[in-house]
Amino acid sequence: MSPEIDVALVNVTKKFGNLVAVDNVSFEVPKGSFFSILGPSGSGKTTLLRMIAGFEVPTSGDIYIGGQRVNDVPPNKRPCNMVFQRLALFPMMNVLDNVTFGLRRRGGMSKAEMERRAKDALARVGLQGLEKRKIHQLSGGQQQRVALARSLVLEPTVLLLDEPLGSLDLKLRQSMKLELKHLQARTGTTFVYITHDQTIALAMSDTVAVINRGKIEQIAPPEELYRRPATHFVASFVGENNKLTGGRVLAVRPGPDPQVEVDFAGLRMAGRAGEDLAVGDTADLFIRPEMISLRPGKHENGLLGKVSEVNFDGSHSLVVVDLVEAQRPLSLNVKIQHTEDAPEVQPGDVVTLSWRWDAANAFHPVAQPSTEAEV
Amino acid sequence: MNASSKRRGLWLVLIPMLLWIGLLFVLPHVKLFYLSFVSRRGGEFTLANYLYFFKNPLYRRIFVRTAVFSTLVTLLTLVVSFPLAFIITKVAGKRLKAMLLLAVILPYWVSELIQAFTWMVLLRESGVFSYLLQRLGIIHHPVEFLYHDYTIALGLVYTSLLFMTIPIMNSLDTLDDSLIEAAYDLGANFWSTLREIIIPHAAPGIMVGSIMTFMLNLGNYVTVTLLGGKNSLWFTEIIYNQFIIRFNQNKGSAFSVILLTFSVVFVWIVLKVTKQDLSEAM
Repeated sequence: MSPEIDVALVNVTKKFGNLVAVDNVSFEVPKGSFFSILGPSGSGKTTLLRMIAGFEVPTSGDIYIGGQRVNDVPPNKRPCNMVFQRLALFPMMNVLDNVTFGLRRRGGMSKAEMERRAKDALARVGLQGLEKRKIHQLSGGQQQRVALARSLVLEPTVLLLDEPLGSLDLKLRQSMKLELKHLQARTGTTFVYITHDQTIALAMSDTVAVINRGKIEQIAPPEELYRRPATHFVASFVGENNKLTGGRVLAVRPGPDPQVEVDFAGLRMAGRAGEDLAVGDTADLFIRPEMISLRPGKHENGLLGKVSEVNFDGSHSLVVVDLVEAQRPLSLNVKIQHTEDAPEVQPGDVVTLSWRWDAANAFHPVAQPSTEAEV
Repeated sequence: MNASSKRRGLWLVLIPMLLWIGLLFVLPHVKLFYLSFVSRRGGEFTLANYLYFFKNPLYRRIFVRTAVFSTLVTLLTLVVSFPLAFIITKVAGKRLKAMLLLAVILPYWVSELIQAFTWMVLLRESGVFSYLLQRLGIIHHPVEFLYHDYTIALGLVYTSLLFMTIPIMNSLDTLDDSLIEAAYDLGANFWSTLREIIIPHAAPGIMVGSIMTFMLNLGNYVTVTLLGGKNSLWFTEIIYNQFIIRFNQNKGSAFSVILLTFSVVFVWIVLKVTKQDLSEAM
């Protein structure tokens, strides 16, 4: 195992009775990186995190932390700490005692030294002067910070975070999101963060692993995940999409990034083949609404459409365009940024839509709607 | 509804309880208190009934024995109940949980008297235990398990187990499991988690259970007399003797007041020392 890898999972499987919660998962988390595990509820991400923390034992496979195999190491002996979803702060203690709890367990340190380190950790999360407060006297955001400080003070090799921002309101979540990222960059601690919220995963992470039904779908940096999804599930789960189903592949141009043309209701649409596609295959196409360019009027290359709705949404508008040349009713959502040269459209306007071929991704259809994973 | 009719309604609802407390609790205790301060013949004011207790070393010793014994049995009940309550609330699956709970409650379907008789059948010289141990070759002649201090302790723990277990279960129920996990995650072991997280959280339940158990032990008569025999040396027996055998209501009353005062003061001191609030604990 390379010393630059802090957490490694090798073929880890976890079964609960007949249910396979985690199915043959392997990945490596480089030292000092922010690694997110993104998946819908019931996808097995919590089980995965609990196995790293030591609260669950893998049915098969190995887990390494800092190069050591930790399968048989109990949670209180592992060099990682967890920030719990419901924070799990100790209500019977004040802020300082919460933060020094781990240091007291470890021992071998004077009381003054423990307090100095605890105060230092509290300062790092911006909570100076609240040491003597009771937990219930703190706001949600402050409690969040105490939970972080309580783990960070132990200087763990890896910090595990179980969706701790989920319970906060939107504004606070946005600001904590950035703070968490800055904190990670400052401390250089490896973060493993699990969430079902893709905006958090995309904004904070160096690498995101998308998990569905216990299986890893894709491991990639956020931008690659967004632009070049590896599977049908990733394409539909991450980001907003126009999803066109049941098209027929007309042409494939091979290459490192194979290009395809797919027929939907008599219209030829270009896209990138997310997986192996052959001429004549059935395919679904995902097109990002903000990647579609909209030009008023009728133009040469592009799809002719008529605006049916304009939904104002602050910084942008979502425009629904009916494709008038399609053989069956077909419409696309287009997101227009309100920049100076943005086209102005009204319902009823004739427009032309086009996109770069690699802004759309084509996949084989899947039998079941993959976002509705069962628990 | 206006305020005055609301208040009238409240009083109406409270009447049965007030009657209950007034007629069956306050009134008899007022009488008891009065009797303890008057002489048996003539009925004039006297402290002789109390002085009789304080001058008699036998009574004093029995009193101290009862108090210490009750306290020890309360601690013993706590030691038995706490793991039981923890297993029922945190460890057991649905089936085991129901079974354990039933096992705790079931004995209370029969009265304390019948429970004591059952123990007697099991523990007497010609009883089940003695027989079984002889058959197994562990003992070679019949042994009398009744009429020992440990028999009294056994009986008392058994009769008050429920009153200790249920309040502790209630308080453990509200303990978020992730708190225990968090403690482990931060490096705590079983004992430090128990000491720093679980017990502090369960403290109100432990307090309520201990108070109830202590009171039940202190005032117990049936179990103590039947399992401990004539020489169980329990203070309630002394009170019984004064009232029933010696027909001395005044001395009996004085002894009762002493026992009552002690138990109230003792509980109050324990609450103060452990910084618990009774209304909060209950």
